[in-house]
Amino acid sequence: MADAAHSKRTLHRLALHRRDSIGAAYHVLTFHAEQPLAVEAGQFAMVRGAAWGDAPLLPRPMSLLTGGHRPSILIKVVGEGTRRMAHASGGEPFDLLAPLGIPWSACPTDRTPLLVAGGVGVAPLVFLARKLGERKALSIYGGRTADDLPMHEELAALGELRVATEDGSRGTRGRVTVALEVALDELARAATPPKVYCCGPDRMMAAVAALCATRGVDCEVSLETPMACGYGVCLGCPVKKSAGGYLYACTEGPCIAAERIDWQATR
Amino acid sequence: MNTASPAPSRAPIAREAVDLTVPIGGVTLKNPILTASGTFGYGLEYDDFYDVAELGGICSKGLSLEPRHGNAPERIAETAAGMLNAIGLANVGVEAFCKDKLPTLRKRGVAVVANVFATTVADFERLTRRLDGEEGITAIELNVSCPNVDKGGMEFGCDPAAAARVTEACRAATRLPLWVKMSPEAGEPKKVGLACQEAGADALTAINTIRGLSIDVHTWKPRLANATGGLSGPALKPIAIRLVWELSRAVTIPIIGIGGIARTEDAIEFMLAGASAVQVGTANFADPMAAKKVLEGLRDYCAARGLAARELIGKLDYVKR
Repeated sequence: MADAAHSKRTLHRLALHRRDSIGAAYHVLTFHAEQPLAVEAGQFAMVRGAAWGDAPLLPRPMSLLTGGHRPSILIKVVGEGTRRMAHASGGEPFDLLAPLGIPWSACPTDRTPLLVAGGVGVAPLVFLARKLGERKALSIYGGRTADDLPMHEELAALGELRVATEDGSRGTRGRVTVALEVALDELARAATPPKVYCCGPDRMMAAVAALCATRGVDCEVSLETPMACGYGVCLGCPVKKSAGGYLYACTEGPCIAAERIDWQATR
Repeated sequence: MNTASPAPSRAPIAREAVDLTVPIGGVTLKNPILTASGTFGYGLEYDDFYDVAELGGICSKGLSLEPRHGNAPERIAETAAGMLNAIGLANVGVEAFCKDKLPTLRKRGVAVVANVFATTVADFERLTRRLDGEEGITAIELNVSCPNVDKGGMEFGCDPAAAARVTEACRAATRLPLWVKMSPEAGEPKKVGLACQEAGADALTAINTIRGLSIDVHTWKPRLANATGGLSGPALKPIAIRLVWELSRAVTIPIIGIGGIARTEDAIEFMLAGASAVQVGTANFADPMAAKKVLEGLRDYCAARGLAARELIGKLDYVKR
């Protein structure tokens, strides 16, 4: 995963190849790329409909699920931009500025990859699980309800999956941290200690980061913040650093060691 | 009934034969397309996209004497055909700019406009003096109109006397061209512009953002941590063009137009209204190539009509009936 920094960031005009709905709120948008898009797991694209005109004005930062000839993203409908994406049909042109940001760091061979996902934050972790392939990641996936686990089948197919929902409608009842504690207890006795990769709501990532810090477990997170540009000029995506001051999620993240973040400052 | 006749034009000329140069108070820019401060970093973030030396110039992120962290998040919020920002002038500081950014820009032949910000007249003067000694700076742009800082922002740009004091102090500190960036919120922008002109400004940049407020109806909280932020993007454009038009008829120094420029047609509108050059801002976010595309489109437009770019300046065809 090292050569990503050298892949040239480019604005690609791509046609939507297909859109797959997952329940009411989630969709996977798959694009057709004549030239394969060189992306690493954890990187993102700024995505905007080429026919949107002046509104919505800004592209939306989206973790990539795949690259190559069929780049894809997972979206959750939260506002006007994602609502338009959720209604897009095949052939519709989109602009993708990619590849952007720092990818997940490699998982050393003497570590067990442990993936912790929350809701739509699963996207970069599905990409990572695919990349890990034979190593069969252990994943913990949490959501408010069973409807908020849009890619649980993919994760299950790529390794071992444990699910937690806040209402108990699937898997164990409660937050992912409960399932994570169990997994960390099990792995404490394993020959290869875990390395945690986490993406989800800020509050979830803060809790996972705190738990990992207490246990002395390596933890990397993928930051999600609003962004206008995605490539380091708008300065709209500051995240407070544990060392003081801000870092910018687009160029210093989104994937970053959890210990570098001041989690008290996140909402 | 529409009786408007098409604007005058000549026989088409070759694209490469088009004269795009424009004079801006003592300097000649290679073309009238620049990028706006705060939307283009320090010009060094574009290596993957294009050679920014092709542009008429780039305006640096607003520089202060000391580095600034900027405001807490959230700093940006999208609005109808625009966005609010309250970045809070996060920047590396003038020393780091001169040491780490400027040498590379100079080597690449980029026309650099150093945008500066301070909270006192004395600090504006210090910044200007510091930059005066540096090679490779085309002009200094005085940001007396930032809406997102507690002190020293718009209060200078909204008051003719205060704007003149800043301009005068900086005038005494440099021989470089001084551009003053106008606030659209001044009660009498023409008076501010005239005061700056009399105090020695070489050009006026119009306009900075207009303060706005956006509220999250789920949380009942402002969508920005700073509550208010500066509105930019296409939503701003007609207001900016109107101000360029008014200012250009009030002052004799050149106007650099800015506000929602995303396409070549936008740039041409500003020039017809009286702008000698323009700055592309928020459009850079969605498309890093935006300014270059505006420039190439302008070349096409002029080639098709056999015009030099400067022939567009202030040619708005309007007679009050």
